[in-house]
Amino acid sequence: MQAFLTYSIYGTALFLMLLGLYAVLMKKNLIKIVIGLSVADSGLHLLFVAVGYINGGTAPIFSPAVAGTGTVMTDPVPQALVLTAIVIGFGVTAVALALVVRLYRKHNTTNIDEIKNLKW
Amino acid sequence: MTDPVYFIAIPLLTAFLLPLFGKIYKPLIGIIPGLVFAFTAYISFDLYFNLEPGKPVIVQMAGWAPPWGINLVFGEFSGLIVSLITFLAFLVWVYSYNFKKVGFDNSKKYFTLLMLMVAGSIGVVLTGDIFNMFVFLEITAISSYGLTAFYKGRDSAEAAFKFLLIGSLSSTFILLAILLLYKQTGTLNMAEIAIKSQAIDPKIKSIIAILFFVGFGIEAEMFPLNGWVPDAYSQAPGPVAASFASILAKSGIYALIRVFYTVLDVEGIFNLLLTAGLLTIIFAEFTAMRQTRLRRMLAYSSIGQMGLIMVAFSFNTKAGVFAGLFLMFNHAVIKTLLFLASGFLTYSTKQKKIRDLDGFGKIMPFTSLMFGLGAFAIVGLPPFSGFWGKLNMLTATADSNLYLVIALILVVAVVEIIYYFKVIGRLYFRERHEDVNIQKPTWNAVLAMSILALVIIGVGLYPDFITDYLAKATNELFDKAGYIKHVLPSLSLN
Amino acid sequence: MSSLVILILIIAGFALLSYFGHSINKTAGNIAVFAAAVLIPLYWFTRVDFSETVSFTISGFQMELGYNMYGKLFSLIVMILSPLALIYALGYMKDSKRTGTFYFSFLFSILGMTGILMSRDFISLFIFWEIMTWSSYLLVIFLGKDVEKTGIRYMVFSALGAYAMFMAIVIIHRNTGSMMLNDYFNAFGNFSTGTKFLTGILLMFGFALKSAVMPVHVWAPGAYSNTPMAYTSVFSGALSKMGVYGLGFVVINLFAHANLHFAGTILAWLGAVTAVLATFSAIFQDDAKKLLAYSSIAQLGYIVTGIGIGTELSIFAGLYLAVLHAAFKGVLFMAAGAVERQAGSTDMTEVTGLIRKMPLTFFASLVAIIALAGVPPLGGFVGKWMLYESLINNGNFLMVIMIFLSSTAAFLYSYKFLFGLFLGQEEPEFENVKEASPLMTIPMLLLSVFLMITGSFPGIVFKYIAEGMTDLGFHDVNWQMSVLTNAWGDSVNLQHVTLSIGVVFVVFLIFLTWKGYKKTYYVSTKDISSSGEVIKPEDNMTYSTDFYKPFERVLHPILKRKIEKYYDEFGEGIGALFDFMRRIYTGNGQTYAFYVIVFLVILLVFSKNIFGY
Repeated sequence: MQAFLTYSIYGTALFLMLLGLYAVLMKKNLIKIVIGLSVADSGLHLLFVAVGYINGGTAPIFSPAVAGTGTVMTDPVPQALVLTAIVIGFGVTAVALALVVRLYRKHNTTNIDEIKNLKW
Repeated sequence: MTDPVYFIAIPLLTAFLLPLFGKIYKPLIGIIPGLVFAFTAYISFDLYFNLEPGKPVIVQMAGWAPPWGINLVFGEFSGLIVSLITFLAFLVWVYSYNFKKVGFDNSKKYFTLLMLMVAGSIGVVLTGDIFNMFVFLEITAISSYGLTAFYKGRDSAEAAFKFLLIGSLSSTFILLAILLLYKQTGTLNMAEIAIKSQAIDPKIKSIIAILFFVGFGIEAEMFPLNGWVPDAYSQAPGPVAASFASILAKSGIYALIRVFYTVLDVEGIFNLLLTAGLLTIIFAEFTAMRQTRLRRMLAYSSIGQMGLIMVAFSFNTKAGVFAGLFLMFNHAVIKTLLFLASGFLTYSTKQKKIRDLDGFGKIMPFTSLMFGLGAFAIVGLPPFSGFWGKLNMLTATADSNLYLVIALILVVAVVEIIYYFKVIGRLYFRERHEDVNIQKPTWNAVLAMSILALVIIGVGLYPDFITDYLAKATNELFDKAGYIKHVLPSLSLN
Repeated sequence: MSSLVILILIIAGFALLSYFGHSINKTAGNIAVFAAAVLIPLYWFTRVDFSETVSFTISGFQMELGYNMYGKLFSLIVMILSPLALIYALGYMKDSKRTGTFYFSFLFSILGMTGILMSRDFISLFIFWEIMTWSSYLLVIFLGKDVEKTGIRYMVFSALGAYAMFMAIVIIHRNTGSMMLNDYFNAFGNFSTGTKFLTGILLMFGFALKSAVMPVHVWAPGAYSNTPMAYTSVFSGALSKMGVYGLGFVVINLFAHANLHFAGTILAWLGAVTAVLATFSAIFQDDAKKLLAYSSIAQLGYIVTGIGIGTELSIFAGLYLAVLHAAFKGVLFMAAGAVERQAGSTDMTEVTGLIRKMPLTFFASLVAIIALAGVPPLGGFVGKWMLYESLINNGNFLMVIMIFLSSTAAFLYSYKFLFGLFLGQEEPEFENVKEASPLMTIPMLLLSVFLMITGSFPGIVFKYIAEGMTDLGFHDVNWQMSVLTNAWGDSVNLQHVTLSIGVVFVVFLIFLTWKGYKKTYYVSTKDISSSGEVIKPEDNMTYSTDFYKPFERVLHPILKRKIEKYYDEFGEGIGALFDFMRRIYTGNGQTYAFYVIVFLVILLVFSKNIFGY
């Protein structure tokens, strides 16, 4: 059961990443591409948390109430990292959407194939 | 001695406070960034020249000693790059100080983003923590997207979106690599990873290496990951393109070098780097040859130079690294000059085409002269600094017994000569047919370009101005044990 | 400070001085140029210490400057020809624009040549070589004509040559750990065969390219004729000799002394072929500048042949011809420039009959042409004689025939040049043409006097050549003042020959003048009986049109296949390839993302091969 859980988390993370990549590579709509990027990021974040998780661990808080009981704590570092990564991902998505708006205003389309004024 | 933290903290802080300053007194928007850049340049030079040989300055953030806390390492290698970045950032500021005069409003956003980008790049170079490096890289990247999209009228949003698309992929890969690395070693400190990396399963290590390679390769303009480069360079404002070439690309290649020379020990990556570098050179220079727009041509040429730098670093010899650093220096200085000059050259032409520049030598003598000088220098003609870089590069290649690579580099150099000299021919040796209302360079732009030109000529006539520093940086890069020893005094390589 | 460094600094200083002088006003600039023309050679002749060496280390490479006798010989050419050309340029460029750039580049190319000849290590050699290249490039495109085609072609070929040298240099550095020329020459014997060939051939390619040897000569005609004539005299006279200078080193010091004679032989053959083909091409040029350009290539062919054969006598002949070529081609290009300036064109089908208008120019050209054609009283004869003799001694009879053919054919173009520009009828449109200013005629006349003197006293030049050849390993070269010795033991006293020919010449001249004043009358070019054929007004009926038509018809099959064409086609093909390559940047952001993923996947798939775990 535990193994299944672990693998299903890893599997979901991987699936999300591939899904995101699929959207980025195959979808023609700019917004879908941005969503794809976001989904791929989420997958990665999930992976981070999963890696840091230790079976049966508690929240990594040193407080008098918990300390000294000898419980296992989950690794706090990936969680910290994931927070940072989420913020960054949020920023990137925001910039991306802003660009999409501008592109739409200029080209009147969100089809990425039609936005190639700059080439060669 | 000042604390290297200021490099990052001050630009980062002022970047966000800049709109506030603008509310107080409008001209402050132009002046404050200048003060900040001057300050960072000053302290980086101050630190760099007072560096004790072989003893990097290590800063522990928030009082946590490494490997727990994040640390900054200002050594002979990173210090050199930081000094270069801050110096060029200052010149870019000098150039763009009263850009408003030439129809460049919104300097608030511009300087905010520029400062963020510089702070991020400095962070990438200085940090001793791999995740921190990722964060700084993202700061650099996001501000670069903003800078690329700066002009509203043009296709800049398109360029920025492409940049963002590829940049996000790059950040995903880097993050994944960091995750794998953390899983394997349980640490994010680069020195500690360096110790533990020998124990990593080679299979996983190779995956990590590839992820880093692709991730950083995007910033370092490696083929085939460099689709964003020509678009971003050609759509961003002139000084931004200059800072992309001198700052953004430099931090990308720095990350690549640092990770593969210090953090991971994977021998095989160097052959890969060589191949990728050669492909980069070939595709970029050959494509540059057929460009009709000046900026795009410069962008492709910039990619080609980055390819050359990659090749130099791929030898994994001291001569190679020395040559690579020399090329980095040259590329930063000369490409900056070229982009700055091209900013005014193409300012008044609508299409930004090379053929619109006929006879500009007469009507814009100074800017054309600077462009010509840069072109001479970048193709490696003596007595300019580009020549010494190329000479060291080729001797390093010969020392690695790669005669075919020499031939290839030289053939490509001929191509480079063709397209640069075509531009020079148009600037100086053609008659101008239609009138054009030109934009004379502002005095501060003249100052910035003159300083760069003086550096190019000075180093060209007497390269030993910088060779000592480059040699020291090279030695430091190869002294992996020393790096670990200084960052983690308690641990050492076993 | 060392006199060599001072010399370099003086030239560089004068270059800057002339540039800034000209940006202030013309007079100031011209004074600077004149001062340069006087002071630079003055310093060279009086103050430069030829035994001095300066060595310094830059960027970890040891470098050394210092003359040797071989370099001094070539410096002599540079130091005599360039100042004269500079003074000539003062007259020639009087009304031009951007003279500052012109003199700046001019003086920088002198700096390059001077530096090359005193370099004892490859790095300074290469640096000066490149300085010479780019400064001459700026002059090639100076007039703004053919910037794309001629200019880029010149630069591309120069760069190819220079980079071939560059490659050789770094390979040498890898094998010897040193950049000194001497270290290379000494270590050459111990190299592996591959390295020997690679470095030697690359160096040879670089130098041969500058001396416009056959398959890589295509830059020369355009570049020589496109440049302001004031510089072309130096370009063809001195700059191309830098290639000869280097070839001497490579062919003799390397290959001959390592018993690899075939390299020299190949070079000699190439030189001979160059001579023949370039001569033929020269014959059919209608533009005097183009004609002279091809003639230069042909003459360089002889010189290269001489150097390539590599015997004492042949090198002697080659070097002697090199000195002479500098002098007479200097005069001829200057003369062509004078005609161009005074009459507005050098097209021989338009400009005719200038002999009375520009007698001094004509006289100088006549002397130079005689020297060029190798007619006895002047120096060219001596040089050719020695060249034939060395070839015959060596048993290269076919080569003798080729050289002989080309020097006979040279008469045709020599005659065409003289006839086309100076003789023939006087056209009314050139009625007001005046003799060029003294600034232009005096350098020409000085050079022709030099040519006349070397005709009877070749020993003046022989002395320096013999000295120079000691550095190529030929000691005690046998020469005597004014006496030509050959292997069969005959000797001819040249003064007698010169004297007797001179007397005949003068007598003939008096006869002609006397005769001419009696019976000549003038007809215009259009005064032609056309046997029923109706002449349209646009037909060019000047005598020089289709001057050697029958000859051209015979040679057409040979000359039809121009090497230029193949190069052009190659260039176009490469361009198309590049255009194809850049399609990879499709402009679609998604495609770029796709590249990234594909790249990543490929690397992951082949990670085993890459990392070899």
